[in-house]
Amino acid sequence: MAEEFLVVKDLHKSFRDFKVVNGVSFSIKKGEIFGLLGPNGAGKTTTIRMLSTVLEADSGDVTIGGYSIRQDAAAVRSIIGVCPQELALYEDLSALDNMVFFGRMVGLRGSEARAQAMTNLEMMGLEDRAKGKVAKYSGGMKRRINLAIALMGKPQLLFLDEPTVGIDPQSRNNIYETIEGLRNKGMTVLYTTHYMEEADRLCERVAIMDGGQIIKMDTPYKLKGEIGSPEQVTLEDVFLKFTGRSLRD
Amino acid sequence: MKRAFFIAFNEVKLYLQDRGDLAFSLLLPIITFALLYGAFGGQTMFEGTAYIVDEDKGTYSSVLLEQLGEVEGLEVELLTPSEAETKLERSDILLVLYIPEDFTEALVSGDKAELVFRQRGNGEQWGQVVSSIVRGVAEEINQEFQVRGQVSESLQGKGISQDQIEVAVQEFLAQERETPVVGVREEVLGGSPDFVNQFLPGIVTMYVLFAIAMAARVIVEERRKGTLERLLTTRLSVGQLFIGKFFASVSRGFVQTLILLGLSYAVFQIFTPLSFLSSLVIALIFAGTASGIGLIIASIARSEDGAAWIAVVFSVTSFMLGGTFFEIARDSAFYTLSRLSINVYANDAFNVIINEGGSLGDVGPQLGILAGVMVVGLLISRLIFRVMPGGK
Ligand SMILES: Nc1ncnc2c1ncn2[C@@H]1O[C@H](COP(=O)(O)OP(=O)(O)OP(=O)(O)O)[C@@H](O)[C@H]1O
Ligand SMILES: [Mg+2]
Repeated sequence: MAEEFLVVKDLHKSFRDFKVVNGVSFSIKKGEIFGLLGPNGAGKTTTIRMLSTVLEADSGDVTIGGYSIRQDAAAVRSIIGVCPQELALYEDLSALDNMVFFGRMVGLRGSEARAQAMTNLEMMGLEDRAKGKVAKYSGGMKRRINLAIALMGKPQLLFLDEPTVGIDPQSRNNIYETIEGLRNKGMTVLYTTHYMEEADRLCERVAIMDGGQIIKMDTPYKLKGEIGSPEQVTLEDVFLKFTGRSLRD
Repeated sequence: MKRAFFIAFNEVKLYLQDRGDLAFSLLLPIITFALLYGAFGGQTMFEGTAYIVDEDKGTYSSVLLEQLGEVEGLEVELLTPSEAETKLERSDILLVLYIPEDFTEALVSGDKAELVFRQRGNGEQWGQVVSSIVRGVAEEINQEFQVRGQVSESLQGKGISQDQIEVAVQEFLAQERETPVVGVREEVLGGSPDFVNQFLPGIVTMYVLFAIAMAARVIVEERRKGTLERLLTTRLSVGQLFIGKFFASVSRGFVQTLILLGLSYAVFQIFTPLSFLSSLVIALIFAGTASGIGLIIASIARSEDGAAWIAVVFSVTSFMLGGTFFEIARDSAFYTLSRLSINVYANDAFNVIINEGGSLGDVGPQLGILAGVMVVGLLISRLIFRVMPGGK
């Protein structure tokens, strides 16, 4: 069995009296792609923010690569890469400048940052537009850049918060292939998405979160098996079965 | 520390990319400067017109006119008696110089010649200046005549020709003009106290404040766009982020100041190289103070508009209280209140350097207060700064 790279124990977070994350525990093995699923407002992004040291947890314990997010936040930050749900780019800069800037922020030297930026841009099929302003990019290109930046500095753990939202099948496919390529190189990934077939394809295990708690956690195959024949039901059926059909917002 | 530098560098890069912002922040000081120049540029010297009715039209009236024409800043306009009459009547002009018919004749025959000023009221300041210029010129002509008259009188009958006397007198007079017995020298201390000097510090401090307020807005924008959050998942610490943003903001304010002060140096010549450098030091420190406050604004504002409004209110209050455009009497309640404005200390310091010919050593207290506010601003803003509500 591979070692557990990320361990989350009983994580809590409230905004005022509103419990957004309410006792979340799970772990991810080295080299695993782990899906964190759940309806809008379930607390996925809030969880990722705490794991990536941006938001302080009210209570609970998290270690990443053996480092505690409380005591060793700086060490944690040096081994993670975050692709936020909302695009976080400097629109007035070129893709390359964005990448190099964030590359320097993760501690790369100038030449190294440029080299990695070019490699990642090529992987995302963006090398031709590397010097174009991000503001002029299409939605799909922006999403790809958003992901490419998270890869700067060759992190060991990636947090991908809905990296494929609102893009065409081609861009989405490019992102899948990128993630699969990273997995083959042993990357550990925490992945959130609202596209269930995406989670089914990519993730070894998924956790379904609702109301700040994890209500189900297993491989997609076993989860499907819980409600019927794994060959016939979809992960979406599983999701709706466990989270219900009522609207969240 | 290197990362802080990249933060600053990146922000300056973004600022240079944003054409609108760039144009606004760089053109505005230049436009202000142009207005300042238009308003005060040519007025440091007197300029006026002498309206003259020449009823004499003789040799010496033309000598007088010629000499008046040579006076810098003075135009000579000849009028007919009737024109002068109507213009005075209608108050189009307030003062006319009449050269009477017998002017040349009187001078030649050695009699007293008389010039006549006719004016409405006191002729106002302009009229008084013109009349004193005319008096001065007439005085010179007077002297020439007296000298020439007396010299030729005392040399008469000694076998010296009138021409020789004339040449000698002219030489003597020319020499006297060049090296007068009683000379008048103008000494200017520090700089010439005029409008530009008075307004420049206020305008400079006002711009620095605005520039920094804009920088505060940029930070809030970064928070909204998510880049701030992203930055703090990298190895960048909040402290480094702060230092980076601080330096970016200082350079932004300083660039504007540099434009204003540099243009003033070039066009108005109100600086010596030393006072210019001293002013830049003050500007730099003030940009630091304002940046500290800008960071507080960035830390408390929830939206860009919020930041902009807080900044506008703060800037406007500061420069109104700061006596930017008027002097504040020392014993008024307003004076006490004005001490709350950081602009006061910067304006004071600039004034000491530009208008009183002082040095940086004379403005230590002011600079100390500005530096103190800068440090306090940095500390407070760091304490209340949150990447996001509930965040670090
Ligand atoms: N800073 C905050 N202050 C107050 N409430 C917050 C804050 N951040 C998140 N919330 C609330 O917490 C809840 C969970 O938000 P979160 O973004 O974690 O959900 P999510 O699972 O990522 O949803 P989505 O699928 O829509 O991205 C939401 O109701 C949200 O409004
Ligand atoms: Mg989310």
